[in-house]
Amino acid sequence: MTHPKSTHVVDARYMEPPEPFVHTMEMLDTLKPGEKMLLLLFREPHPLYKVLRQNGYTYDTELVSDGTFEILIWR
Amino acid sequence: MQALLSFDKAPPFAAPLRFFLTAPLFALLAGVLLLVEGESMFASRWTPGLLAATHLVTVGFMLQVMLGALIQILPVVAGANLRHPLVVARWLHGGLSGGALLLAAGFQFGQPTLLAAAALVLGASIAMFLLVTWRALAGVPSTSPTIRGLKFALFGLAGAVALGIVLALALARGWAVPWQALTDLHAAWALGGWAGILLAAMAYVVVPMFQLTPGYPARPSWWLPRVMLGLVLSWTLAVLFEWPLAIRLLQGLTALAGIAFAALTLRLQSQRRRARADATYRYWQLGLFSAVFGLFLPLTATVWPALAELPGFSLVVGILLLAGGFMSFIVGMLYKIVPFLAWLHLQNTCGGQAPNMNRLLPETAMQRQMNAHALAVALLLAAVVWPWLVRPAGAALALAGGWLFYNLWGTVGRYRRHLAKVVAA
Repeated sequence: MTHPKSTHVVDARYMEPPEPFVHTMEMLDTLKPGEKMLLLLFREPHPLYKVLRQNGYTYDTELVSDGTFEILIWR
Repeated sequence: MQALLSFDKAPPFAAPLRFFLTAPLFALLAGVLLLVEGESMFASRWTPGLLAATHLVTVGFMLQVMLGALIQILPVVAGANLRHPLVVARWLHGGLSGGALLLAAGFQFGQPTLLAAAALVLGASIAMFLLVTWRALAGVPSTSPTIRGLKFALFGLAGAVALGIVLALALARGWAVPWQALTDLHAAWALGGWAGILLAAMAYVVVPMFQLTPGYPARPSWWLPRVMLGLVLSWTLAVLFEWPLAIRLLQGLTALAGIAFAALTLRLQSQRRRARADATYRYWQLGLFSAVFGLFLPLTATVWPALAELPGFSLVVGILLLAGGFMSFIVGMLYKIVPFLAWLHLQNTCGGQAPNMNRLLPETAMQRQMNAHALAVALLLAAVVWPWLVRPAGAALALAGGWLFYNLWGTVGRYRRHLAKVVAA
């Protein structure tokens, strides 16, 4: 799946925990330097944010009208 | 990967668990009270026994679970960490449990000293909770409707408790207050300003997560906490200035806001991607339909005030909203939260050998307990018309409460046995 914000997308909107976290971590491992990934969820993943910060990642979150949180992640 | 899954700020399992295990015992106690007192309890909304049973459910059961869950869930849904969660949990749990018992005993036995003591204990415990929670949330920006909802709900809780203290002291000291207007307002703050906003804030996260539904649309999610709190504040002004017409109108609008939220949630549930209907889904369906009917009555009474004068009107609304609505939402969530926390703590301790969540709390056990709860709701409603059913309704409520305790206690037992096995290995 691709998205205007990134070609690396994890659409975790209909996944049960901890799948969104696991899939995000797996995709982060595949990113090349300078690449960004996008996580789609119906909630803000605060525990994930914490892990991202601890591992030197930056993220930017936007809540769009259908209730999807679009979380762009990069290092 | 496993190390990453453990976010170190998650409070220990014991912090929320003590609330979750005590709450069902209060539901059981409320059932026993109905069973003992019998039909005289349903003579009006003001009988001592009914006031006692109502607060065993609202403070002893509902508030107990809601505050216990918040201690656990604030870091997860808002990124806000309480300081010393275990210490807060210990004091709050003692205060809520003791306060709920004092309050119920004060109503039941008509003892002014017990009512005043309940006001003091509950007031102090909840003020302490509000203070530590506010400190944790104050620096957190409202980046989601959930965080905004949580902040507004805490304000609602403060209002509900303040009014509760005034009413308890007025009863204890014999102050002359407009009982009906203030009691309705207390209920509006407690169920709309606090529990309703909190439910919405949590639903935005847990309904899509646990029931695999689409998300709540952003715009109404942002607005609902604002609208609900605005309505309850306006209702307060209308009571202060004694505007009966405005009170009636605001009562109807508050009910309408609740119906809109319930209807939206029902629509999302109808689009869920999980084919199987589990206990949580069924409990939420029961809760949402009960809430819609329970709110439809005061909405109708806004345009047709004679309805509210019918005997049993308040009782039916109360049963639908409390036993049918909030208790169902809460048990439905407990059935996801308790096995999930047990699984998470096992996963963190024994690294990937945690048993499946369904083995920690089997689906059939939850479904059977839910049947007892649904029977209790039906019998309570029927008892409004045929008061001889109060005793059977009490028995069903006690059975459902005891069964809930048994189910949750069983999960904790399986968690402990698995932990012991891993540690021994």
